[in-house]
Amino acid sequence: MSKNKMKKSLSYRLFWPIRNEKWQQITIPVASILISFIAAAIVILLLGKNPLQAFYNLFQGAGIFPKSSYAGYKSILTDFLSLLNAMTPLVFASLAVAVALRAGLFNIGVSGQMLVSGFLATIIVGYSGLDAIIAKPLVLLVGIVAGGLMGGLVGWLKYRFNIHEVVSTIMLNYIAQYVISFFIQMYYIDPISRQSKYISEAARLTLVNVEIANLKMNIPLGFILAIIIAIFIKFLMDKTVVGFEIKAVGSNRNAAKYTGINVGRNTVLAMIISGGLAGLAGVTYYLGYFSSIQPKVLSSIGFDSIAVALLGNSHPIGIIFSSFLVSIIDQGSTYMSSQAGIRQEIASVIIGLILLFSACGEYFKHKVSRLKDKEVDRKDSES
Amino acid sequence: MDTVIIDGLSFALPLFIMAIGGIYSEKSGITNLALEGFQGFGAFVGALSAVLIANAFGTDVQNLFYVSLLFSMIGGMSFSIIHAVLCIKFKANQVISGVVINILALALTAFLTTQINALVFGAASDKFQLGVSERFTIEGLANIPVIGAVFTNVYPFQVIIIVIAIFAWYLLYKTKFGMRLRASGENPHSVDAAGVNVLKVRFSAVLISGLLSGLAGMCFAYSISANFSSNIYMGYGFLAIAALIFGNWRILPTLAACLLFGFAKSGGTFIAQSMALPSSFTDLFMVLPYVLTLLLLIFFSKSNRAPRALGEVYDKGKR
Repeated sequence: MSKNKMKKSLSYRLFWPIRNEKWQQITIPVASILISFIAAAIVILLLGKNPLQAFYNLFQGAGIFPKSSYAGYKSILTDFLSLLNAMTPLVFASLAVAVALRAGLFNIGVSGQMLVSGFLATIIVGYSGLDAIIAKPLVLLVGIVAGGLMGGLVGWLKYRFNIHEVVSTIMLNYIAQYVISFFIQMYYIDPISRQSKYISEAARLTLVNVEIANLKMNIPLGFILAIIIAIFIKFLMDKTVVGFEIKAVGSNRNAAKYTGINVGRNTVLAMIISGGLAGLAGVTYYLGYFSSIQPKVLSSIGFDSIAVALLGNSHPIGIIFSSFLVSIIDQGSTYMSSQAGIRQEIASVIIGLILLFSACGEYFKHKVSRLKDKEVDRKDSES
Repeated sequence: MDTVIIDGLSFALPLFIMAIGGIYSEKSGITNLALEGFQGFGAFVGALSAVLIANAFGTDVQNLFYVSLLFSMIGGMSFSIIHAVLCIKFKANQVISGVVINILALALTAFLTTQINALVFGAASDKFQLGVSERFTIEGLANIPVIGAVFTNVYPFQVIIIVIAIFAWYLLYKTKFGMRLRASGENPHSVDAAGVNVLKVRFSAVLISGLLSGLAGMCFAYSISANFSSNIYMGYGFLAIAALIFGNWRILPTLAACLLFGFAKSGGTFIAQSMALPSSFTDLFMVLPYVLTLLLLIFFSKSNRAPRALGEVYDKGKR
């Protein structure tokens, strides 16, 4: 009997972080990340390669661990900065999804909003030849306004005409993709790269090839902004009336209506904020990470961000961590594939698995709370 | 003019069969954004089986058309089990599950395609070459003006789709199973009270949507792209969802929506070609179906109503 009790307390201690509701927000995503890395390790083993080596290469490629050798002007620091550079649009896009989710809306149109704001910023500021001091803030402003208008349109269509936001965003994605492709190919095409002409360095949100201490670095200015905005969104959602009303509309439209909250206004407002964030993702992607736009292609960030937001529990700080992880896997995959001889595509499979397991988070919570109930029952019957 | 009808139909019908799958799933109460992933994975399994069988028996891929259609349905259905398990057993958020499945399908099929190409065929390729399926023309009917185009250059899969669609319509609206399925999406507790297992009904509905989407994916692979590669994820799954919401979750109006998409798409290409505009203008005409949908939705979606229990996890204890 006492032995049995000992066993129980051990398992109790082991699973305590998953049981505790406060810690679940962190432990469940961590658990799903661990499970998916184990699953990926099995696949890599089946391919006859060493999984630990492969994962180590993955982190080396992303600039977390040092590589064995570097090309000229490169070091672990430059790799890490490129990681942050790639991560910046993902943070913004995931924040955009998260804000809409809080209002009970699914913004599937992040890609389209990114493209529109990136394109407008490119033609208005990117080709203008303005000084950096004016050009960079202007790029951000154009991005926020363009994205916000696109998002606001979706919110308005939903509230005024009852058009499901999933449908309208999908339609707008296609429309943006084709119309912008038309304009790029007619007026702004670079005949060699088959993309839009490169923007001026002054307008670009990433400082490229800055030479410091004999290293050529890409410094992503947008990353600092992304962190600030994430904290701001957390403040907005948790501490202000605006955030409270948006969350109220998201959790129960009718209840919100009866308490006198203007549902229509908040729906549109949430979509404007979400679109504005998507716009920032667009400018940091097309005028930061890249400096031109490829016609006819929507970036996959728009869809990835839905999942990244989920992995981060739609929580701004959680999103920073989840997009950090996803970017590591993404960025490190090229190096891993060259070093370990494993196909690069496995990186997206790992990401997919992480997301798949974290989608089951609700079930874990449900199971754990049932276990807890059982334990309470048992204690009651024992006493 | 004939090409508009021929191309429009060959695009609209696969879209339609995929949308029917979506209707089944959503009518039973399971939101299904995963159609895109189902059709891609279905096409992957279909193409893979065709290529492997052709390799093993030395036949031409072209002859294995019906085999690959069959396998694509099996593939789409097996992949849809993930969505069903996640949404029904694991009580996951259905929209998120759908998005995740799309991402996973793209990642898995891209990885497996290159891996299998390297292992089995020793080629560094990211696609399975299939070719375009053969077409046939019904001689007598094809001579009728205007309508004749419907019977000209028909893909065999179009006939299969029409047969399946009629059966699907009958199953959903005229049988006990269909009635229970529709009731599961409106008032699951009454279905439960009648002694029917709601979860089983929903599970089978999701599997049906996977099966039909897999078929649609294979049809796209055999007509538009003539191979299987990551290009199969063109967003047609989302277009099917738009069509079914536009059609107010009913099969016949959804057919109209799909035909609208198909004809607007082929019509746009036709106008651009016949006006001899530069190729970049085609992009502008490609917008037509989507703009048209948005405009029509503004007039028609006031009366649109999703199934009442759509997207809700079925909880027996809840009243």
